[in-house]
Amino acid sequence: MSVEATETAPLQEMQGAIAETVEPPPPEPIRIEPDLAFIRTLMKAGGDSLKQCMQCGTCSATCALSSDHEPFPRKEMAWASWGMKDVLLNDSDVWLCYQCNDCSTRCPRGARPGDVLAAVRQEWIGHHAVPRFLARWAHQPQSAILLLGIMTVLLGAALYLKDPIGRLLGFSEEMSSNIVFSYSSMMPRWLLNLFFLVLGVLAVLTVLRGVVRLWKSMKKTALQQEPVTPRKNLISSIGSAIKSILLHERFSLCTEARPRYWSHMMVFFGFLALTLVTLWVITAPYNPLIGGPFIYPLNFWNPWKLLANAGGVVLIAGCVLMLKDRMKNSEQTGVNNYSDWSLIGLLLAVVLTGFITEALHFVRLEPHRHLAYFVHLVFAGTLLLYMPYSKFAHIVYRTAAMICAERYNRTNEKQPGQIPT
Amino acid sequence: MEEKIGVFICTGYGIAEALDIEALCKVATEEFKAPFCQTVDSCEGQGLESIIEDIKANHLEKVVIAGISARRYPDAAFPEGIIVEKFALREHVVWCQPPNEEDTQMLAEDYLRMYITKVQKMKVTVAFQSEEPIDKSILVVGGGITGITAALESARAGYDVRLVEKSDKLGGWLARQFKLVPTKPPYRELEKSDAPELIAEVEGNPRIQVYKSAVTSSIKGAPGLFDVTLTSTGNGRPAGDIVDKFRVGAIVQATGWQATEPRDTLPWGRLDDVVRNVDLEESILKHGRVIRPSDGKEVKSIAFIQCGGSRDKKHHSYCSSICCLTSLKQAMYLRDGAEDAKAYIFYEFIRTPGQYEDFYRRVQEDPGIFLTRSNVTNVVRDPDGSLIVTAADTMPGRNIEVKVDMVVLAAGMKPTAADGEAIRALKDARVTVEKGESEAQRKTAAEKVEELSQHEGTEILNLEYRQGPDLPALEYGFPDSHFICFPYESRRTGIYPAGCVRQPMDGIGSREDAAGAALKAIQCVEMTSRGEAVHPRSGDKSYPEFFLQRCTQCKRCTEECPFGVLNEDEKGTPLPNPTRCRRCGICLGACPERIVSFRDYSVDIIASMIKSIPIPDEFDEKPRVLALLCENDAFPALDVVGQHRLNINPFVRVIPVRCLGSVNVVWISEAVSAGYDGVILIGCKYGDDYQCHFITGSELADTRGENVRDKLQKMALENERVELHQLEIAEYERLPKIFDDFMKVIDKYGMNPFKGM
Repeated sequence: MSVEATETAPLQEMQGAIAETVEPPPPEPIRIEPDLAFIRTLMKAGGDSLKQCMQCGTCSATCALSSDHEPFPRKEMAWASWGMKDVLLNDSDVWLCYQCNDCSTRCPRGARPGDVLAAVRQEWIGHHAVPRFLARWAHQPQSAILLLGIMTVLLGAALYLKDPIGRLLGFSEEMSSNIVFSYSSMMPRWLLNLFFLVLGVLAVLTVLRGVVRLWKSMKKTALQQEPVTPRKNLISSIGSAIKSILLHERFSLCTEARPRYWSHMMVFFGFLALTLVTLWVITAPYNPLIGGPFIYPLNFWNPWKLLANAGGVVLIAGCVLMLKDRMKNSEQTGVNNYSDWSLIGLLLAVVLTGFITEALHFVRLEPHRHLAYFVHLVFAGTLLLYMPYSKFAHIVYRTAAMICAERYNRTNEKQPGQIPT
Repeated sequence: MEEKIGVFICTGYGIAEALDIEALCKVATEEFKAPFCQTVDSCEGQGLESIIEDIKANHLEKVVIAGISARRYPDAAFPEGIIVEKFALREHVVWCQPPNEEDTQMLAEDYLRMYITKVQKMKVTVAFQSEEPIDKSILVVGGGITGITAALESARAGYDVRLVEKSDKLGGWLARQFKLVPTKPPYRELEKSDAPELIAEVEGNPRIQVYKSAVTSSIKGAPGLFDVTLTSTGNGRPAGDIVDKFRVGAIVQATGWQATEPRDTLPWGRLDDVVRNVDLEESILKHGRVIRPSDGKEVKSIAFIQCGGSRDKKHHSYCSSICCLTSLKQAMYLRDGAEDAKAYIFYEFIRTPGQYEDFYRRVQEDPGIFLTRSNVTNVVRDPDGSLIVTAADTMPGRNIEVKVDMVVLAAGMKPTAADGEAIRALKDARVTVEKGESEAQRKTAAEKVEELSQHEGTEILNLEYRQGPDLPALEYGFPDSHFICFPYESRRTGIYPAGCVRQPMDGIGSREDAAGAALKAIQCVEMTSRGEAVHPRSGDKSYPEFFLQRCTQCKRCTEECPFGVLNEDEKGTPLPNPTRCRRCGICLGACPERIVSFRDYSVDIIASMIKSIPIPDEFDEKPRVLALLCENDAFPALDVVGQHRLNINPFVRVIPVRCLGSVNVVWISEAVSAGYDGVILIGCKYGDDYQCHFITGSELADTRGENVRDKLQKMALENERVELHQLEIAEYERLPKIFDDFMKVIDKYGMNPFKGM
């Protein structure tokens, strides 16, 4: 017996070694039931070329942003042409794509993976948004008036009911009376802050659901990777992602859509500047750094005002560049959808109405400046409220995707030198 | 009576600068006593005209032109009835030898000696004239699209046609299709079959006699003289009844294809709703829509599995070429008008060659058609009655499954052809089993019978040929002779396979093939009527004559002829059929009794050329090597060597031969007896992808090497003094090196001791 045992032991070891080298058995088959309606929806939303894909993989090879493991957009193209809605709408990789269209211009079959992924993202936003009808409205031009109308009614109602609400909540004019606020007669400061705080919280709560799903899906994809790469610390992942966003690092890797690098940079920093100023102004009463009374609107030469004006100008310039690029180079910028136009338009509207208000304020034109301010607030509210339902949601989803990609090492970009041209 | 011989020596092209022309003329006039020898500036254009004038003015009967390569002269430049031999003083001497050297001059003079000797021995060829008139009508076997087109094309060209179809309907697979794959731009819409119009046209054509429900039960004779007997298949009249007997000149075999059985790993025949593409086509043609065989319900989803019967080493390893298109087309049937229907196509490679790519794209565009590269691993029945197809390594996932109403397997094509040689071998083995001399012989024969039994009763053409009743089958059972170089040619002269019996192809290809084969058939009857050879020695008027008094009935010629020209009587004496002959001379090379000869090519002519040159003695340090080069590739390659001014060893004497298969061992023994130090044979490549223009010639030369070795052994010479090489024309650069290397071998073994004996 003992002899046998010694003989069989190495054999078992050997068999073990062989078993390790043998390819693992294929995973349990996934049942595919193509969703024809979903295919048609994607085709209508700018992905009309999705059926032209022959799965050669040029897109994934040429993409500077795609990871070597399970690279996109080839697999997304296959899923799209097979109508695999559930898989696509839980695929986080679509958010790592910038639609620079390096893939679309190089596709040998004339398919446009960049545009297909943009269509998928649009469906993604709608799919994860609650309530969905808002997403539907956000994606159809005929509903624009409706959306703006709702915001006008909401804001109008808030103004009309400011006294009862103030009494109910215990806010009064006196609370802000220590600040010279030339619009407070129309729009008390507490109301302004409260109104936009509620909108902001709603938007964030709505978008958070999608972010959680995105994170889970990306984690799952990343953990399938062989060998599983160690996770990165969450804080440093956020740090890397923010650095990458600020420097537009990934944008700079795309070769076809070079003008977009600059225009997006301008819009981004313009928007960032305006956001910072807005936050500064909102938090001013509680800011220990500000000694003495906070005078609003700020003086023209106030550094914050200068920053806001500069930001506004840069944002407008960026938007104009984007419009020009989208109109002239549709090959590179991709199919231009209503969701693209509406976001640029809305941003422009917010900033332009802001400037008009500012100008009217300086010349003290009454009551026009109040009217302009109202319109400005309607646009700003629209931008904020519909953020989770429109293309604007990319600001959250993409950031989340990038942090996640850093954490699970799905960023390993190819060096620009390796990109086939 | 001595014929008047004339020699023209060209001095142009730098020839006069490199050679002593006067000495060359002396070889002709003094050594060979040629009554006429003249120098000319050129052998092209005006130079050629002056040569022809001189030939006529001086009543020359046999002419040698030493000038440019024979391939450079225009066809039919010289008057009829005069023997003209041209040799390439320019390419083979001046361009590949250093000028004004002793060895160069010797080479030029030796070639002149050889060619004057050659014309002395040659006789004027007289084209073969059959005693019976040559029939120019054409028999087309098979009434599918290929057969119909071949018949129509031949009739339009003014030839009478007999079209034989085994079934009771014309149209073949064309008539059995619901719709056709688009054949013209933009390749988007399926087309209606034009079979009814074509059938009406064939049946209404006064030049075409159509026989349905009939088969060829016997074909005797040769091109221009085929005697055909048709018998009934039993439809309408008793089976085996003679339907008609007639004579035709040539035959187009358009017997088409059959669907293969899918590979065993697919559950065809085991699961109800798993069908072949041909079965689906038949069903839709009958019902007008796709229905499920098991319950007759409308089908909402189909999985197509490509290469169900093709491209599998264990099954049919070739691509059947139309299955991809067929599945794409059938996916369109399903999708037509059914917004929610789904067609899945599982393929390994989609093959839609040429412009069909547009059709593929059109199908791909359809949102309800799903294509993926894949490896289908399983097809099982779901408890709810539908089928589940599992596939690994697909585009949308590593392992996926889809639920479908029906599975369609892309069955491939196999040719409707019989292997004539195998049938003959089976018959021979049967005879041996009965009458074999020894037990062992009978046992081997019985094994052979077992091995070949699948060929029992497969005859189609029923040729009365010694080498079997049908065309020989080649790779995968297709009866083509060489589908790359010589489409439509077969190994039986005057019989041209066309369409899917030749290689898998689509309808357009079949129509083109039919036209090509019809032209081949027309060419054959026309050339045969003039006594000329067909491809590849088109227009050659010579033919082999057999001096049968000396025949020993060894059967080498009848067995080795690659074209089945020779039948045999009971004793084994060859019965020539000159109109079947391609004039390769393989019979001449095979015959140990040297009884086969052409008037312009015989054992004696070449042997005399070999012996016509003086061999320098052992102490001159000038070896001589005889090089027998195949006229089809190796000899023209020597022209190219000259054009590139590559140096050739000056001790090599090159004689072109019709085919290495025509090399008679006698020439080699004559050469070594005469004092040549070695013999080198260079022919076309042989083996599976042979390039031999006469199919087996160069390979036969190799197998006959055994006889050569025996001869050398008897003479106590080394085997290494004879070499055989394979060369294609593109490899011309190898030629000088082959000669140089051979010279090193000769150096090693020393001079031939038979010199000067």
